[in-house]
Amino acid sequence: MTAALGQSARSVLACGEVRTCLLPSFQALDGRAAAQLLRLRADEHVRVSERPTMYALSPEVLTGVDCRLPTSNGSKVRAVGTVIARAALTEGRLLQSTAYFSAPAAGPDTRRPWGQYLVRPGLVEPFGKLPQQATVEGVLRGAGRGELDLGTIAEGLLTQLRRHALLDRRVPFKSRPTHLRWVARRQPEGERASLTNFTVAEGGLRTMELRLPEDVPAAAAAGLCEDLALHDWLLTTVQQMLDNSRIGAADGPSVVEALHPVVVHLLHLWMPRAHVDAALGHLWDVLEEKPGFSRQWEKLSRRIRDRLALQAVTMPHQAFSPR
Amino acid sequence: MTEAVFRETTAEPVTKSVPLSHLSLELGHLYMEDFEAGPDRLREHFAEVRIWVDAVRASAARRSKRPRISTCFLIDDYFTRFSTPAELIPMVLKEAEKAGLVIDYLARESACAVADRIELAESVMHRLVESPPPGSYGSRPPVSQTGWLANGQRTPTMSRSALGEVKGWQPPGETAARNHSVFMDVELWSEKDGGRLWSCPFLAAVWQLARLGLLRHLGEPVLEPQDWKSEEFPHDWDRLPPLIKLTDTKAAFSAYRTCTLMPNRFLAVEDAVRLILDQIDVDAGALRQVADRSGGEGMAVPAAVAQRATYVFYEEPGDSSEAEGT
Amino acid sequence: MLIFAASDKGGTGRSVTSANLAYHRALAGDDVCYLDFDFGSPTAVAVFDVADAREAAEDRGLHAYLIGEVSEPERIDVWAKTEHQVLRDPPPGCGRLVLMPGDVSGGEFATTDDNLRRCVDLLMKLYHEFDLVIVDLSAGRSYAVDMALEATAQPEMSELTARWLVFHRWTRQHVAAAASLVFGRRGIVAGGVHRGHDEEALRGAIRFVRAAVPDPESPLWSQVSPTQSAWMRKTDGDLKQLASTAGIGYSQVLGSVPLEPVLQWREQLITDEDVLDSQIANQETWTALSRLAARLTDDKYWEEA
Repeated sequence: MTAALGQSARSVLACGEVRTCLLPSFQALDGRAAAQLLRLRADEHVRVSERPTMYALSPEVLTGVDCRLPTSNGSKVRAVGTVIARAALTEGRLLQSTAYFSAPAAGPDTRRPWGQYLVRPGLVEPFGKLPQQATVEGVLRGAGRGELDLGTIAEGLLTQLRRHALLDRRVPFKSRPTHLRWVARRQPEGERASLTNFTVAEGGLRTMELRLPEDVPAAAAAGLCEDLALHDWLLTTVQQMLDNSRIGAADGPSVVEALHPVVVHLLHLWMPRAHVDAALGHLWDVLEEKPGFSRQWEKLSRRIRDRLALQAVTMPHQAFSPR
Repeated sequence: MTEAVFRETTAEPVTKSVPLSHLSLELGHLYMEDFEAGPDRLREHFAEVRIWVDAVRASAARRSKRPRISTCFLIDDYFTRFSTPAELIPMVLKEAEKAGLVIDYLARESACAVADRIELAESVMHRLVESPPPGSYGSRPPVSQTGWLANGQRTPTMSRSALGEVKGWQPPGETAARNHSVFMDVELWSEKDGGRLWSCPFLAAVWQLARLGLLRHLGEPVLEPQDWKSEEFPHDWDRLPPLIKLTDTKAAFSAYRTCTLMPNRFLAVEDAVRLILDQIDVDAGALRQVADRSGGEGMAVPAAVAQRATYVFYEEPGDSSEAEGT
Repeated sequence: MLIFAASDKGGTGRSVTSANLAYHRALAGDDVCYLDFDFGSPTAVAVFDVADAREAAEDRGLHAYLIGEVSEPERIDVWAKTEHQVLRDPPPGCGRLVLMPGDVSGGEFATTDDNLRRCVDLLMKLYHEFDLVIVDLSAGRSYAVDMALEATAQPEMSELTARWLVFHRWTRQHVAAAASLVFGRRGIVAGGVHRGHDEEALRGAIRFVRAAVPDPESPLWSQVSPTQSAWMRKTDGDLKQLASTAGIGYSQVLGSVPLEPVLQWREQLITDEDVLDSQIANQETWTALSRLAARLTDDKYWEEA
């Protein structure tokens, strides 16, 4: 075997799934606690960045897989390799986990010794030729039973973190986790990365397709997708809280009570592309253009502030003393 | 690019590199029973080893005109504590010298469990990524719960199916089997007095990783050799640094490849070591450094870590049927 | 909040009543998740009218999740997937109503450490997502009840508020059986204490629901003879006395649901349309369910007697 060591065999596809949820902790974690939470390995650093937002990224851990790839056309392609999983915590408040892998256009027809897969972390090789289009569609649709399941791996890591002794397992408000599935097709080095699709589906599912030049690592794409998933979660969650009938119709202290957590825990989290690889930051522009992520956030924030301001004017004594 | 102006060190961890020889050659591994057998046993051992050392040097010379080879020796102070460094080490060095051998580096086995207050074995355990049997789609196999590591699928435990009938025995299967299985299941540790006792193969796997320059702790090298110029050695093992450098050789302790010379009774242990090495997700930064530098010197290492370790198993001199590997 | 729905025997209307409670709370704006832990005979799919969605989900239900065959149990969005005409158009401002179905091929199974771990993980996750999580447990002292007791006894669950509803019918046998299910030697309280629950706290978190209670004053019985009527009143009084003696008297009751002909014929959700438009169901039933639903989270009804 002359597989170039440490180098990934040239991949044609990168796929991943990001899960985003509120950290089950009543208070947001500080940098030190965040690092402790995300220390998935005793001997590896947690990356902690304090600016412009507090952001902690765990070391990457591997899960071995040997199973069928998810495909949309029913073609049964066995694949072997490792899937990377990692977790991130933003402002000590929003917890995310990602599982992702890359795949080459073709692989050997037999399974290699396991050690050879381990030195190319995050690469999953098909037996024979990779049915590229069917795999893209299969990953976005989600794994069937027995197929490579990125959701299982991402959720497994989230579950492990939610059990961490550091967390008091109390949440300041109820919220719904989201999951975003993404695929990136490789294109020649030097071409500009692009976002070709971002779909908001039902059941908290989002899907995303991009084109990624060969010299941009899959980890960078994972980072971009985490950033988009995080901001999409913020929009979704705050919108839902505003839509809730008890806020929409009611007034008085109950409005303050319902919106209070948004102000305390969420409003300051909006910070697009804060930790996105420089080669991919521009992909945000498409979504800022249409539907206008930041515009919508501005609008939501204004609505919340207006409601609270109105409350303060009409009931000055009660407005800012939620029980 | 404005990105380059602002930096946060905690956000960009680096993996430090370690100096690397071409080959790390282990001249022996001393257990209590070897010591108890007296200096004659050691003398016999080194006399036999000497022959193979020459062969290994000749082999290394095929890859490089000026091979950098460092030699090392390991003493067990983990499973059993015996004698003292003051008594033992001079004897070992003397017998080696008589055979015309030089020991550059000397390590204590317990260093593979904990060195300089860093839990090496524990860290390596967290890096186990089990070889997935066919059908593994992403549900994580619970290695850390069982304390065992296999090269395939175990015989299912006797379970009743839904209808209640007891199924017959089913064979285990080696994942990489060719026609027939050679199934192996390795105990990584046992619980003893509330503490964890690492198994001999597991510590030996850590030892191999150290010799291959692939261990880091938070990006920093671990188990770095300390110079020991004195002829005197302490009377307590705990006062001896985990890894000492006894000569002024320029060849670094860690190397692209390792070769271990040992009696053939260790064959099973070392097979287990390979099984473990084959399922460890080694520090990616360290892996890359070794690959780049060995490639740069025109002696690229095999991709899989386990393939970088070679062995010579020789017949043990004298009657050693009583001696058993730990 | 977590609500566990238990019953002394089958046929108490536990599943259908607790499903109706979930429906009422969702109408009132809460996000509600309903878990079908009735491993022997999952019925929630029929009550919520989501048979097709269930079909599409194959065997990826709670059973498959708890024994580790799938990583997440299937979720069915009731508003979106139901075949029930009225439920398809929920009023604006209502909350989410999600069903996690059991598995058709399921069946009872013992609580192993792994199953328990997964159960705790799931309840914890749902607790952080939904305002109300209702868990429908198999009848009697079942494995499902054991698992619920065991899960809520775990230290990491201590921050969660969990309450128990014990459904029983209004007959001598059922009253005695319900009391025994809770207070008996192998009952819920004893079993809970054995698993590490605080007895006081657990007792305080259990309330009884009398289901299918015939009201002697109901117009339903307007045709009965005076003798029959007198007998009904007497028996009702005796039952109240019996319940009180058995420790499940008035102070321990969260509410009763009157005998509802519609539910006798078919296990279904009672919608306002059934009451107001087609008038197949009684207004009293709607009111009782609505009241009961509100009391689930009203601390006044859960204070020490």
